Amino acid sequence: MVFSLFNLNHPAHYISVGSISVSPGNLVMVVMAFVLFGLALTLPFPGHKSDKNGKE
Amino acid sequence: MKKYDASKKWTGPTRPYDLIKEATVAFVVVALLSIGLAALFSSPDEKAVTLQSWSQAAPADFVQTASGELAGSTISGQYGPPYNTAADGQQLGPIKVAKFMGVRIPINTANDFVLKPLGTLNDPVTNAAIARWKAADAKTQSGWATDYTDALTKASTAVTIADTNDKYGPVPTLVTSLYAMAKSGALDGALTTSDSPLPTNFTKPLLFLADSGSYFPGLADAQHLSGDQWGVMNETGSWPGQSWLWLYSLWYQVDPFKSSGNADILVMSLMGLLSLGFVLIPFLPILHRIPERIPIHRIIWRDWYRSERKNS
Repeated sequence: MVFSLFNLNHPAHYISVGSISVSPGNLVMVVMAFVLFGLALTLPFPGHKSDKNGKE
Repeated sequence: MKKYDASKKWTGPTRPYDLIKEATVAFVVVALLSIGLAALFSSPDEKAVTLQSWSQAAPADFVQTASGELAGSTISGQYGPPYNTAADGQQLGPIKVAKFMGVRIPINTANDFVLKPLGTLNDPVTNAAIARWKAADAKTQSGWATDYTDALTKASTAVTIADTNDKYGPVPTLVTSLYAMAKSGALDGALTTSDSPLPTNFTKPLLFLADSGSYFPGLADAQHLSGDQWGVMNETGSWPGQSWLWLYSLWYQVDPFKSSGNADILVMSLMGLLSLGFVLIPFLPILHRIPERIPIHRIIWRDWYRSERKNS
């Protein structure tokens, strides 16, 4: 590993709830996936302005 | 549900769509993200575990495993297909899938992991020990190796056991020679080039390493990479791993998969079944009505549905 701003080259502190065990890195990725899915559903298409009838 | 007439021309709204532009934008965004995140977080670069590093870091574990390879009592020796016929291998209920596929990568742990590599040394003492081993019958070989493995395991930290009564035959010489070979790094090379001069097939050193009683499992546990630690979806260090494999990983944490010797084939079969069900959703009763019950598509095409409501 060469220089990086954030050093992740150390054992992760795993979050364990019952039989579920997840690393903070994986948890961030899962949360981001849900956020991106929500944004993809709700944000309008870029540069798209439909008229009242939905026609281009 | 409305009947769809495929012969009818689409009369709803249309939209110009530049696929090349979208692909270019996606490529540039992903490239910038990759470069930027690599600069911020770097990437995992764990030093490879080799037979050399194992024998240097945990000598007692290495010699116990090497002796076990001679006895044929290690995980590889007892695995069954595709390596040998010591067991039936993975089976799905009454169907012995691994046995049906047969022994495709024949491995005799004593010959492949110990005797053949030692034969490349051309050392007279080692060659004499190999010759004595080969001259003995299977029962004698097994007795020597099993007794020596037990003695090493009992001694816990010893790398060799004195054998004044010749109880262990040539086994101490073989194991000690293999230990010296491993420490020098020659065993890694001998195992990767035993079938081909190009070191591209790492099956044998990896199987040998996986037979380790405590060293290799200990490394995996420390990095949360073992099967019962959701290891399938984890990465070394603190980097995110393969979080999309959570469903595969989940089954290994719950019974009956968790405690089954056939967990791999059971999990793969279940995931295959679930994937097939996902692909066939449009044809499955109840499930094919999910878009009606949970109309997420209406959020994406909300403009069109709004205008349709107004027009009607």
